[in-house]
Amino acid sequence: MSSTVAQIRTRMPRIAEVAVERARLTVVPRRRTRAARMPFVALVSMVLLGGVVGLLLFNTSMQQASFASTALEDQASTLAARQQTLQMDLDQLRNPQRIAKAAIGLGMVQAGNPAFLELGTGKVTGVPSPGDGTTALRINPLPPKKPALLNPPAHVVTVTPEESHDTGQQSTGNGRHRDKNHQ
Amino acid sequence: MRQTRPPRGSRRGSPQLRLRVGFVFIAMVLSLFGARLVQLQGLDPNSYAAMAAAEGLVRVDLPAERGDILDRNGEPLADSVDGMMVVADPALTAAKAPELARFLYKRLDIDYVSTLTKLRAPGSRFEYIARRVPSTLATAVIAAAEKHGYDGLDTRRDPVRDYPAGDVAANLVGFMGTDEPLAGFERTFDTQLSGTDGSARYEVGGGNRIPLGDQTVTKPVDGQDLRTTIDLDLQWYTQRVLRQTVEDAGAESGFAVVMDSRTGELLAVADDPTYDANDPTDAPKADLGSRAMQDVYEPGSVEKVLTVSSLLDEGLVTPQTRIVVPPMLMREDRPIHDWFPHGTIHLTMAGAIAKSSNIATVLAADRFKQGQLYDYLRQFGLGQPTGIGVRGETAGLLPARSVWTHQTQDRIAFGQSLSVNGVQMAAAINTIANDGVRVSPSLIEGSATTDDGQPVGTDHTTKRRVVSSRAATQMTHMMERVVDPEVGVAPAAQVPGYVVAGKTGTAQRVGKACGCYDGTFTVSFAGFAPADDPRFTVYVVVQNPSNGGGGGSVGGPAFSKIMSYALKRYAVPPTGAKPSTLPVEW
Repeated sequence: MSSTVAQIRTRMPRIAEVAVERARLTVVPRRRTRAARMPFVALVSMVLLGGVVGLLLFNTSMQQASFASTALEDQASTLAARQQTLQMDLDQLRNPQRIAKAAIGLGMVQAGNPAFLELGTGKVTGVPSPGDGTTALRINPLPPKKPALLNPPAHVVTVTPEESHDTGQQSTGNGRHRDKNHQ
Repeated sequence: MRQTRPPRGSRRGSPQLRLRVGFVFIAMVLSLFGARLVQLQGLDPNSYAAMAAAEGLVRVDLPAERGDILDRNGEPLADSVDGMMVVADPALTAAKAPELARFLYKRLDIDYVSTLTKLRAPGSRFEYIARRVPSTLATAVIAAAEKHGYDGLDTRRDPVRDYPAGDVAANLVGFMGTDEPLAGFERTFDTQLSGTDGSARYEVGGGNRIPLGDQTVTKPVDGQDLRTTIDLDLQWYTQRVLRQTVEDAGAESGFAVVMDSRTGELLAVADDPTYDANDPTDAPKADLGSRAMQDVYEPGSVEKVLTVSSLLDEGLVTPQTRIVVPPMLMREDRPIHDWFPHGTIHLTMAGAIAKSSNIATVLAADRFKQGQLYDYLRQFGLGQPTGIGVRGETAGLLPARSVWTHQTQDRIAFGQSLSVNGVQMAAAINTIANDGVRVSPSLIEGSATTDDGQPVGTDHTTKRRVVSSRAATQMTHMMERVVDPEVGVAPAAQVPGYVVAGKTGTAQRVGKACGCYDGTFTVSFAGFAPADDPRFTVYVVVQNPSNGGGGGSVGGPAFSKIMSYALKRYAVPPTGAKPSTLPVEW
């Protein structure tokens, strides 16, 4: 070692001698402190354990949320479908044809002419008339016309009353005859 | 110690040899891995990625809800309901087919025999049992079936399009086929109504979504509602009055148009015969369109309103203009008759309208210069489609100016030799009601774009003055004489309490077979009320009545009923004016 230094020194220019002398480094003696090991180990274990348990809990809660959301989504779509179906029922109840039918069933007739009361002046215009049901609106189509084969013209046979029969027998006989013809 | 052990080399061979053998073996294994790597990554990378992704990954369509078609008050003419189809696997259902068919027939109201056949279909694994069932019902039925121990039923999504009012406005609204719109607004405005379906992809485990799993959601864009100017109740009433009229007259078909005089909004466009939009296949194909828009017909005497108001606007006649009306008018080689036999009579212009005299109208129209009437009729909107958004609308047939002869003008002056569609003609008559200003009709509230890119709706309403206010007022007074019980031809068109202005029409019809007038008639009545401040224009047209009725006796009562209902419904008070007393003779 010293030989090497000597060699360097010999190679060094003389002027750098002092600087080299000054720059020579020595190793700082290591200070060994013995910190307590237990708290650190405990801390790390706690963090690890906490992390693992926390992650587990987090995962579980997410899973729970997922179950809940699936169930709620199912419920929401069921309710939405139900709402739509009810809305459809409502719209069908609101069908003017149904209302008209119900109204006619209750014996209602079309309104007559209204009179108008002007609130500002208190004047009444128009000639009111009661609804008398004479202009009934036919809300259902007429039944389709039967073909001639199924709808033959009425065949009426006039039977001259026989003198010997009494009136009671006569009328029943007549009725029966007519029935036959209508078939 | 060492010498007692046998030398290693002797049993295991030389280390160099072992190394070589080992390396060769490792190289062979690695090259196999390498080949597999090239196969996986180089040759067919996507299929494996897809297979990996498909494992546990669920793809769900998020259907967009179809927009509703609404009337002017927001009542639905067509609405969408979440629906399902019920399907069956015959392999599982065949065993209990009769009981199951009975159960389904009771719950879903479907045909027993065809259901039984499907449930037993040999060799099949998939049969449609019922389609477009509201999903609540479908779910309930499946749940009940499982409870009874019936296997093999399942449901799939199948949206239901419901038309709550059945046949009301069906000819305009149209209907849906199995998967696509087939007619009417459903088809014309499909882009707006249908929206865009979305989709969701996510990983599932045990039926539940994996929280941190791969997932993508494209939200569906729901279709937009289409709001029409139709008034559901008025439309229903108009359709029933029209049906009664057509049935009682023994007619072929008919239509009626109710228009708001000021805005041009169509409150009702009724067609008869019509069909139930929930069951369009039951009706003949000819009834599925809108006759009011798609059929051309000759308007007949209703058109005289346009001829005479043009004459008034030009100052060529006044309501008092005196006309000597001969029993028959010979024009070149063709005679012109009136609908009623008469000797030589003296009618005023008002009388010509009140009595609907062809000869008087032709004589008055002689005062037009060449082409003047054509220009007016174009201004009234004849010969051009109204563009209200109804599919297949006809433009009508107004002969081009270049082919007008003297005879053509004569016939056009009283409404023959030209064809119109119903709404076009209603809008033309409405010009008189709206003080001489033609307002373009509309059927869509706001704005919507048709499938051929044309924007329609009340936002695109145009107005143009066709005749002067003075001419319109004079014309209205003359039309008031038409419903006069003493001098007019259509007293049945009166609305009690109100002054009505109107005009009858009885036109010869062109038959399909011969392409000539075949002896049948188109009878009509157009009018508006209250005459001095019109709110509604109503136009009723009945094709080929077999009871021999004319415009006044067939169209008049229908007009009166519809107008009366509209005035009541919109609470229009009588104006208290008295009908005109213009002289009809001199």
